[in-house]
Amino acid sequence: MNHQGGWELIKNTWQSWLQHRGFFFLLAFGWMLPLLVYLMIWSAAASEGSLTGLSQDTLAGYYLVLVLVNQLTYATTNWTVGDNIRMGQISRWLIQPMSPLYHALSSEIAGKVVFMLFSVPVTAVLALIFRPQFNLSWQQSLLFLPSIVLAWALRFFWGYWLALLAFWATRADSLLALQDTMIFLLGGHLAPIRLLPNWMQSLAKILPFRYMSAFPVEILTGFLDKNEIFSGLLIQLGWTITAYLLYRLVWIRGVRHYEAVGG
Amino acid sequence: MQGLRLIFEFFKVSTQAELAYRANFFIRFLNAILNLVTGVLSLTVIFNQVDSIKGWDLPSAMALLGVYLLLAALRGLFIGPSLESVAGMDGEIWQGTFDFTLLRPVDKQFLISFRHWRVLMLFDLCLALGVLGYAIHLMQAELTLLAVLGFIITLIAGVALLYAALLAFSALVFWNSGFLFTWIINDLFQLARYPVELYPGWLRLVLTWIIPVGLMTTIPAQALSGKLSWQWLILTLLFTIGALIGASWLFRQGLKKYTSASS
Repeated sequence: MNHQGGWELIKNTWQSWLQHRGFFFLLAFGWMLPLLVYLMIWSAAASEGSLTGLSQDTLAGYYLVLVLVNQLTYATTNWTVGDNIRMGQISRWLIQPMSPLYHALSSEIAGKVVFMLFSVPVTAVLALIFRPQFNLSWQQSLLFLPSIVLAWALRFFWGYWLALLAFWATRADSLLALQDTMIFLLGGHLAPIRLLPNWMQSLAKILPFRYMSAFPVEILTGFLDKNEIFSGLLIQLGWTITAYLLYRLVWIRGVRHYEAVGG
Repeated sequence: MQGLRLIFEFFKVSTQAELAYRANFFIRFLNAILNLVTGVLSLTVIFNQVDSIKGWDLPSAMALLGVYLLLAALRGLFIGPSLESVAGMDGEIWQGTFDFTLLRPVDKQFLISFRHWRVLMLFDLCLALGVLGYAIHLMQAELTLLAVLGFIITLIAGVALLYAALLAFSALVFWNSGFLFTWIINDLFQLARYPVELYPGWLRLVLTWIIPVGLMTTIPAQALSGKLSWQWLILTLLFTIGALIGASWLFRQGLKKYTSASS
């Protein structure tokens, strides 16, 4: 496998993405906004009565970290995988001497670089407005790192295997929209998991969607105790491995199924 | 009269084009259902925690959601696709094909506002009406004739305001086609999901008078629950008329500035 070529591709992509900053800043703004809406709604609710131990400033801390984590883990590339398969673009990648996964990875990394250039300063300004509060502890901050890497990998491979279904069905994109909705409902966007009704909380803890976005945030902002963190990490790891295996399976079958039209 | 006939023809052509793709049918349906479920579930989660926020309880918030879904459906039905085909990404102004549109012997603003229809958004429209009906059922209040009348008037004003805002933002493309202004208003429109009273003071002012997405949904919902005063009703109507005139003026100024991309 040619990793050198992959790295060159990654560098190239992010430099070319930076030339279209305005466009990506706008995308990032669009993702940020719903989270800010729910931050404001919940703070308005918290100002009237107490929400099971969540104050306005802890909510602000939770949502502002979630804005960043969400953008770090959101896999934009998966939306274009289906188009590339339908348009036959993927034929060219298949004959290149490196894994086509690199094409997805390159725009992933390019995206993160560009989105963070926008989101980090904006979040910093928002922090001045909403005045967040964190209950950090050292050990927990350390566990945040593996959990965010796993969250990214899980969200990426989960979306990727769904997108690869485009080998068979033309409109597999709608599965990605469904994934986004599930993350909104059960991944801590609509509300921190502990504010959800019980049946939704149990679903959130079993299904993979919380582990794609809210879980690292809950660790960092001190919402979880030690046991919850470790059992959560195990579930997250399990889902990540499952997602990767699904990707391998769908990819191998899909390429065998694939017939290019034209050149 | 001729206008109505033209709209009917546009509608027919769009319908034929859209119904050619059968998969779209299911996808639109799925999307409409997803929208409905997320909207209703969000309110359920919020009002599971608190009885009311800033004077808004579940029934009145549900009415507002109905208005929001109704406006979103109308936007998706024709305002959005029509304006997007001119000012959106890869729209006529980017492509330079706007010249052909200008040559048509019809009022330009009329033409670009009603040309494209996404018929399947009628699903969304029905679901929105369903939510409104459910909200009225929840209110259980003796709906006065006056409240219903006020609701219908303010709802029409809301649609007109939405149209004016979208037209104004689309017209900006004549000054700078690189920046996707229509996207910004799409993003900001999400803020209309909740009553403006729930947002912090500075944002409330912006959403009422500068980018009036707040007015579009909050006022009709207030009218339905009988909380709207006469002064606000008149103010809203005057503001709407002003916005329509202003947006139309901006569009005409833009047209004057337009120099063909091709020659």
